[in-house]
Amino acid sequence: MKPPLRPPTYSGVWHPNAIDEIQEKAELGRYQIRGQATKRHDLPSLDDLVFTPAGLSRMALEGYREKCDTRVTIGEGRVKRPLVLERPIMIAGMSFGALSINAKRALAIAATRCGISTCTGEGGMHPEERQYSDKLVVQYLPSRYGTTPYDLKKADMIEIGAGQGAKPGTGGVLLGLKMSDEVAAMRDLPPGVDQRSGCRHPDWMGVDDLYMKLEELREVTNYEVPISIKVGAARIANDVKLAAKADVDAIVFDGMEGGTAASPTIQLDHAGIPTVAAIAEAAEALYEMGKKEEIKLIVGGGIKNGADAAKCIALGADIVYMGTAPMIALNCHKPIYQEDYERLGTTPYECQHCHTGLCPVGITTQLPKLIARLDVEEAAQRVENFLNAMTMELQLFARSCGKNKVSDLDPNDMRALTRDVSLMTGVPMVGLNGRTPMWAKY
Amino acid sequence: MAAVKKTLSIDCVGKPTREINAFIRQAADDGVPVVELLNPQARHNLGVCVLKPIHIVIRGHVGYYAAGLSDHITVEIHGSAGWGVGDNLMHGEVVVHGNAATSAAPSIRGGTVVVKGDAGPRSGISLKSGLLVVGGNSGYMTGFMMQKGRIVVCGNTAKALGDSMYQGSIFIGGSIEELGSGCEIVVPEADELDDILKTLDHYQIKAPKAFRKIRSDKSLWNFNKHDFAAWKDVL
Ligand SMILES: Cc1cc2nc3c(=O)[nH]c(=O)nc-3n(C[C@H](O)[C@H](O)[C@H](O)COP(=O)(O)O)c2cc1C
Ligand code: SF4
Repeated sequence: MKPPLRPPTYSGVWHPNAIDEIQEKAELGRYQIRGQATKRHDLPSLDDLVFTPAGLSRMALEGYREKCDTRVTIGEGRVKRPLVLERPIMIAGMSFGALSINAKRALAIAATRCGISTCTGEGGMHPEERQYSDKLVVQYLPSRYGTTPYDLKKADMIEIGAGQGAKPGTGGVLLGLKMSDEVAAMRDLPPGVDQRSGCRHPDWMGVDDLYMKLEELREVTNYEVPISIKVGAARIANDVKLAAKADVDAIVFDGMEGGTAASPTIQLDHAGIPTVAAIAEAAEALYEMGKKEEIKLIVGGGIKNGADAAKCIALGADIVYMGTAPMIALNCHKPIYQEDYERLGTTPYECQHCHTGLCPVGITTQLPKLIARLDVEEAAQRVENFLNAMTMELQLFARSCGKNKVSDLDPNDMRALTRDVSLMTGVPMVGLNGRTPMWAKY
Repeated sequence: MAAVKKTLSIDCVGKPTREINAFIRQAADDGVPVVELLNPQARHNLGVCVLKPIHIVIRGHVGYYAAGLSDHITVEIHGSAGWGVGDNLMHGEVVVHGNAATSAAPSIRGGTVVVKGDAGPRSGISLKSGLLVVGGNSGYMTGFMMQKGRIVVCGNTAKALGDSMYQGSIFIGGSIEELGSGCEIVVPEADELDDILKTLDHYQIKAPKAFRKIRSDKSLWNFNKHDFAAWKDVL
């Protein structure tokens, strides 16, 4: 007689994932690298917060008639040409090299139609990106790939990169297959090389140096456009205070859920702090410095929809910053070209093989045959639709909480579902409303 | 047409850096051939983002990023320079008559940076093209992650020389305290030496007796699990 079917008794310590990981390292002789983000399921998240919209104690706004402002400006009162975003959303820095030119084109077209910005990322400014993107943020990174005073002058904002959530404390990685002749030429590297870029800037170390660096960049832009600094959320309160001391116009950070084109898996899973934990800490640091109004807080890392964005803003962010979600709108993980996912040893939804350069849907590849799979106009339309839907969701939460500006959302509009997130964010636990339960008095 | 003055001078004392740089840029726009900066008092960011041809003479020490992010300019610094002198230079020439602090000529994309005295750590870091010449010694991690171009150091160099360089070449006249990862010492070609000697002569720098050439051994270009010893320090 066959034994009855029972679930496998996997060890919690030697889980199949841990076993696979060791065996893969035994094969490769190096740590694993993958694209996109951590696969951890146990992180505190923005889902642990809920809105507590209007009822009798507060009046909601009409969804169909009453205006709900989404505009936000970076550098207002600080620089000659502040960056005005029609929605509190930015497309995150993703390099040409990590992304295909069609992905870059589509993102730039969609962002322009929505009145928001895109960002060059690490590989320098591709001329087409400037052409398609009405509001372009130019990254100034440790590698300085493709950096010229002429391109910096074309920026609508300069973002000094000092880290990112997916890999705080380490530099960029672009594996050889993606180092095409064009990408290599823009980076002054040999084609096909595995690029490892620096984690520290070549010519400044601490915040006092940063102050001088900022002055240099402001000289280049003639003090006209805002300058932000980007870090990975880790020692966030201190980093925010130091950036504020250096007098940047905006601080960008993404939590450990932040996406990447290639990072060591171990780093994705074990470094940095989650987005939800970092926001209140960062916002509080700016309040402490007396600069919360003046310096904008731009937050990324795992932002999926208007609810996430609204929660970030309620916790103190001014703008959300997204990489992976717009890529998914482009077609990432879409169950088409299934045989190519299989060839990579993966499937849609779990893919995260961006580092290989063999993206089945033409987003994170430099191979012409694959790039051609991403139709620019159709892809731009999908991203635009997604951004529109997300903006409506954002407004939905603001209006339902009785706010006619998305930026007026605040921590009091929410409750926490878990004690951990309540402790981290200072948002009261659901059901307690900040009180001690009555029965506890007896 | 009004005659263009040959040399304009500006005394930096009491003037904001922004005003001094605007003065230089205006002079370049007006076709003034030479601008002289007096009393720089080690101020940062002098001569930044000047993109039209002009010759700048700085009479004294300068701070961080002197002549940074500039193009087509020639600069004489009659003193020492702080961090990142000639940062990201595109074309042109920056000559420091004294010493240079950390990261001289960082990530330059062209042109020539000459330090007649000693240069600090990370000189020529991320060099993307062009030439860095150091008349004296150069510090830790000279040529770190260099990508292209040439570095010439007439004196000695400290540890991690040429570490993780991708391409380009470094020529050392003195001792090498320690070679960095992923590079090798080779004998320079005769025409390379010729070229270097001409350059040194041009800048009136005394040439050492001989040069050794350092270049990438390409071991770090692509990961190789059989060469773990090389990779463990760099991944
Ligand atoms: C394909 C890809 C490429 C990226 N390239 C860069 C880069 O060049 N520079 C950078 O600072 N961050 C880079 N990032 C990180 C993003 O700028 C951003 O911090 C992150 O994607 C935000 O998290 P999210 O993907 O969950 O939205 C990249 C991310 C992705 C997904
Ligand atoms: S589909 Fe392409 S972009 Fe998406 S995870 Fe896979 S390789 Fe990356």
